[in-house]
Amino acid sequence: MTPFTPYIEYARKAFAREATYRIELIAEIGSLVLRVYLLRSLWTALYTHNVAPMGLPLHSMITYTTVALLMSLVLEVDGTRVIREKLREGGIAVDLMKPIVVPFAYFSDGIGQTLVHAAAILPSLLFALLLVHIDVPSLPVIAIFFCSFALGYGVNFFVNFLMNGVAFWTLETFGLQLIVRWISDLLSGQILPLSFFPGWFGRAVFALPFAAIYSTPLLIYVGIIPPAKWGAALAVQAAWLAATTGASYLLWRAASRRVVVQGG
Amino acid sequence: MLAAYLQYWKINLLTMAEYRADFFMWFGFTVVYHGSALAALAVTMLRFPSMNGWSLREMFFLYALWMTAHELHNALFFNVVSVPEYIREGRFDRFFVRPFDTLFQVLTVPSRTFPDGLILGIVTLSIATNVAGIHATALTILTIAAVVCGGAGIDLGISLFVAALSFWLIRVDTLRWIVMSLEQDFTRYPISIYTRGVRIVLAYVLPFAFMNYFPASYFLGKHDTAFGLSPEVGLLTPLIGLLWTALSYAFWNVGLRHYQGTGS
Repeated sequence: MTPFTPYIEYARKAFAREATYRIELIAEIGSLVLRVYLLRSLWTALYTHNVAPMGLPLHSMITYTTVALLMSLVLEVDGTRVIREKLREGGIAVDLMKPIVVPFAYFSDGIGQTLVHAAAILPSLLFALLLVHIDVPSLPVIAIFFCSFALGYGVNFFVNFLMNGVAFWTLETFGLQLIVRWISDLLSGQILPLSFFPGWFGRAVFALPFAAIYSTPLLIYVGIIPPAKWGAALAVQAAWLAATTGASYLLWRAASRRVVVQGG
Repeated sequence: MLAAYLQYWKINLLTMAEYRADFFMWFGFTVVYHGSALAALAVTMLRFPSMNGWSLREMFFLYALWMTAHELHNALFFNVVSVPEYIREGRFDRFFVRPFDTLFQVLTVPSRTFPDGLILGIVTLSIATNVAGIHATALTILTIAAVVCGGAGIDLGISLFVAALSFWLIRVDTLRWIVMSLEQDFTRYPISIYTRGVRIVLAYVLPFAFMNYFPASYFLGKHDTAFGLSPEVGLLTPLIGLLWTALSYAFWNVGLRHYQGTGS
């Protein structure tokens, strides 16, 4: 038994638990394919009737949108929802007594859940390819894209962690969390490229942590971030990862002193 | 029955007054939900001013029309969505032992529903009508109100139909998701951007296009480029809403006679 064994076990348990919801997974693939169709129709209509923006022809736009949707299969999994549930039901007290580092355990739990949803990527991609053509960049671009995606996954995890951590102070956080989710969907570049935002706001959105989640990997994929700027782009993502990790650490330290019993 | 219904709203409003923080959170949630959809639309259309011949102002009206009808449906009939859950958990059976129509009882399960979305919808629709330059005579306002009610009827008819299916099928979640996605995502744009099959579905099979596309075309004096129908078909919305609700209610009653419980 290595120090990692319990965490691998957490991930396996989460995988098994999440994998029982097969019908939901099929629904997820179905709704993704519908959205691929929807966005293909939307961008095709917009590009037909308007002047295309600089540097982003229709095929790049459709590639951007489709890859963003596939990424969302993984990124929309809220691996830290478990914190909120455990707080409500009191399980958190038991977890805190176990000889584990609790945030790591939750991270492993999140990884387990993510892997189930990652399994939906391949069938979704195959169905999507029936509807749209996706540009495939060269191998180095794909490799850097995955590095950037991994960093984005980390930032997304800790942003969720911070949101769920608020539940230590107020138990009703679900509505708040959905609000942040929609704002972040819009400002992360999942719905549209951040370069579409006008003026100073367009520059400001790139300076927010949300841009590290979708925008950076996607812009690398479609080639808007050229190889010369890869280093800088990944560095910014890494900085956000460090910042959100640090904030999560502080929040966790403050929060675990605050665990109160609320009966039931 | 009316007295019972008024009592239901009285309880709802009292609950709202009691859980004020909750109310504000969900209100914020509704604002952000519609706000982020409209913001995405606005940002997109700054770059692409024409959506198959529709301007941003017209698109705003298109969205507001759907939003208000949908929020009217949510305010009055939201519980219909929970029917499959009631059946699965065996909570449906209690409706049989009480001296009220089962559907009426479903609609009056206390569930902290507030008409906040509806109020927001009416405000947004008033602004959008103005912004779109529609000359607001008393007759126009009455017609728009009738269309909104008809739209809510279409929404109710379709969700009641899906709910009634759960008398035979235990799992209708997947279907419900796909229908919801068709409604919420596909009604955002003029149906002329879709391929013929999808247009036919949205106009004749699940007539969501009558919630906003056809009536909006009428009010804005636009040519229907999806089917080349005369703009006056947009005025059929109240009739279609009534028809769908009536047919679904009949189907619901057939389902009730068939229903035997799930044994849970």
